[in-house]
Amino acid sequence: MNEDIKKGTIHPLSLLAEEAYRAFSELGFEIATGPELESDWYNFYALNFSKDHPALDMQDTFWIKEPPRPSGTPPQAGGEKNPPRLDKEGAGGGNSKSVLRTHTTTVTARAIEQAGKDGRLPAAFISIGKVFRNEATDATHEMQFYQIDGAMVGENVSLADLKGVLTHFYKKMLSDDVEVEFRPSFFPFTEPSLEVFAKFKGKWLEMMGSGVLHPNVLKNCGLDPKKYQGFAFGGGLDRIAMIKWGIPDVRLFYQGDLRLNQF
Amino acid sequence: MLISYNWLKWYIPEAPDAEKFVDVFNYHLCEVESLEKKGDDNIFDLKILPNRAHDLLSHQGVARELASLLNIKYVDPAPKYKIPPPAPKAPAGQAELKIDVQSDKCRRYMGRIVKNIKIGTSPEWVIKHLESIGQRSINNVVDAANIVMFDCGQPAHAFDLDKIQGDIIVRNGKDGEEMTTLDNKEIKFKSSNMVISDDKNVLAIAGIKGGKIAEVDNNTKDIILEVANFNPTSVRKTAQALNIFTDARKRFENDLSPELGPHAMLELSALILEMCPEAIFENIVDVYPQKQEIRKLSFSVEKISKILGLDISVSQVEDILKRYNFEYTKTPSPDGHSPLAGGEEYVITVPPMRLDLVIEEDMAEEIGRIIGYDKVKGKIPKINFKTKVNETYAKISWARNKLLGEGYSEVMTYTFCNSGEVEVMQSASDKKFLRTNLTDGLKESLKLNQLNVPLLGMDEIKIFEIGTVFKKSGEEMNVAYGNKKEVKEMSLEEFCKSASPDAFAQEYPASQRHRSQKHTGGAFKMWSLFPFIARDIAVWVPEGVKSKDVEKIIKNNAGSLAIRGPELFDEFKKDDKISYAFRVVFQSFDRTLTDAEINAVMTQITNKIKENNGWQVR
Repeated sequence: MNEDIKKGTIHPLSLLAEEAYRAFSELGFEIATGPELESDWYNFYALNFSKDHPALDMQDTFWIKEPPRPSGTPPQAGGEKNPPRLDKEGAGGGNSKSVLRTHTTTVTARAIEQAGKDGRLPAAFISIGKVFRNEATDATHEMQFYQIDGAMVGENVSLADLKGVLTHFYKKMLSDDVEVEFRPSFFPFTEPSLEVFAKFKGKWLEMMGSGVLHPNVLKNCGLDPKKYQGFAFGGGLDRIAMIKWGIPDVRLFYQGDLRLNQF
Repeated sequence: MLISYNWLKWYIPEAPDAEKFVDVFNYHLCEVESLEKKGDDNIFDLKILPNRAHDLLSHQGVARELASLLNIKYVDPAPKYKIPPPAPKAPAGQAELKIDVQSDKCRRYMGRIVKNIKIGTSPEWVIKHLESIGQRSINNVVDAANIVMFDCGQPAHAFDLDKIQGDIIVRNGKDGEEMTTLDNKEIKFKSSNMVISDDKNVLAIAGIKGGKIAEVDNNTKDIILEVANFNPTSVRKTAQALNIFTDARKRFENDLSPELGPHAMLELSALILEMCPEAIFENIVDVYPQKQEIRKLSFSVEKISKILGLDISVSQVEDILKRYNFEYTKTPSPDGHSPLAGGEEYVITVPPMRLDLVIEEDMAEEIGRIIGYDKVKGKIPKINFKTKVNETYAKISWARNKLLGEGYSEVMTYTFCNSGEVEVMQSASDKKFLRTNLTDGLKESLKLNQLNVPLLGMDEIKIFEIGTVFKKSGEEMNVAYGNKKEVKEMSLEEFCKSASPDAFAQEYPASQRHRSQKHTGGAFKMWSLFPFIARDIAVWVPEGVKSKDVEKIIKNNAGSLAIRGPELFDEFKKDDKISYAFRVVFQSFDRTLTDAEINAVMTQITNKIKENNGWQVR
């Protein structure tokens, strides 16, 4: 056959991530990335989780077994570019522990903190990355999956902006006639906290969590909550892919089977 | 939390139909996981949010909330509870109840001796209430304590007075101390566990579970009622360590107001009086070392409007404050904003049970959810962001497009494996290590896909993965690609060295833009999990006959089991004849195919081909 080399096929989650990044870039969001091996500070305490939050229970979080280290050396976590930071509020008593991040809100926290330091506010960030949950797997649960997480911080960024942004996003991802609504929820890092539902093919589907960034989170990221206000949101990319294309089982994404690459 | 509609109706008689509540809950309070009809009752399963577990893990709490939300009447049961006054003095020679709180993790302990009770079955309404929410009736006294917990949210307990030796002591456990729980579990305590004891024995795990020793049984005559409040972290840690889940634990670890105590004690006493009219009630002994502070919370309407992105009016706010019985004062904003713009500041006295209301933002949530978030109209923010290109993503994107262009297909494999340099402490699976390379996963994927070559319609399996690997020194983003002969792996940095310097100036190469635009949707087709059979057929035809003509005959006769093909994979000319070779793949979605049935299909195709003059199957 005389055509050029036949092109390879792309993994559906990469394709969807490209589309998601584009939808947010159109609105001025900047792509952010961060480590999968994360300190408990960024994964929990910076995000206003208290030490006794149920999410810290062993069944949800993969805590990393720390190698015994000589006294005096700082604990090891994160990638080379992102050295671990000891938590400020004494939640870990100066003993930072490593986890596999349970959400990419870690990336959001790091990006907001950096933007504040660099004097680059207002800013908006979007990140898509692998996250890990220590739970039994089935058709809708997997130990690893992709999360899409974003935030916008400025002086007057409100829930109305959040609704506008997410409506734009789901129209791009699912279909032009998608509607978006909010319902009450709870997350330590947002106040108010909302569950985001999208109406797709006549059904309201739970899509992600969101809300207005809690003042403690802004403080932990070095910003003055009296001056800045912003929203944050996050949810599974795998779930959007399953809804969009009708993929029946989340585990299909990680089996290395090329029959998955249909789009 | 299971909530009975009939039970709620005791407190909100004007309640609308159960079905109408579903949207009220979902849009203004919390998710309804299910609504089920059970006899003449309707049972909601509510997913009470963690910040409202202080007051909503109870029928009275939910009823109060609904009364305020819907602006209907709430019937407070307390005025109906009339407890006969105690005898002026305890009978001579008998000590009154003494409570010794030695642990600072106990914020309040209320006890009351009740004598002359008669253990028996509960009244019908009690049994009905308990069974409606999946609880079992045990006896009247135990049921009364359970009803109180599900009714007002406060766990309560009853001890058999005659089985207690000396005072009631709230203290830390002693290492190695033992107790048998009511459900016959042997417990060994540590000093970090909080217990209720008498002078000799441990009677209960504080806030979690009662013990066998002072169990109320059919012969019990006199009892001690316990209504207490414990530090949530302490209860949580003890329960975790002992691995015990109870309804009492759930309420305490979410933090309860100690101000709930007197109401609960009154309700519990009233229930026991209803069940045992002869009962003699002694005075309540109330040890309350850590009094809950009265908190004030101030907020401005302007700030609430700014958070919600919705103009909230003063009258809306005041209407809500009144419906929720929040005591409040109003002052002009200190920074002198116009009152018309909602510049007023409100100071509310937070009701003791509403431990969730602490900062101004909490009031934004309170007002937002009550008004309904549907009132918030979406808008696209007009902010001129100065964005930067993310170099890591630009590199990933470049690498992916380069490999796709070279015919490699993308896979994602698992991060967890059987050995490595970084280990997780506990896992729901047996794979406790994080991968140190992508190559191992890629080789597995190659093996799997190699078997499926006929299904995939590829000449050769070429795959790649871009992903994180974990080493002692930290994590690293790698790229691996290869075929059955060889897999190459290197860091993303290394892989990108061949790129031109401006390759990472943008995150979206042109090829990618094209890909995204042409794709609009489509539906995923799940593959069969049964084995497939691939067959080739080559046909000689006279010159001039097109491959399409042959393909059509094969297709029309291949039957419904043919899931792929016919695909032309070879074609050559000899003299005045042409040979076309096709491949057809057969697979069923519900069974394993046999050679015999596919042979029959191939024979059918062969026969049809032979019907044409000069056509010959090779």
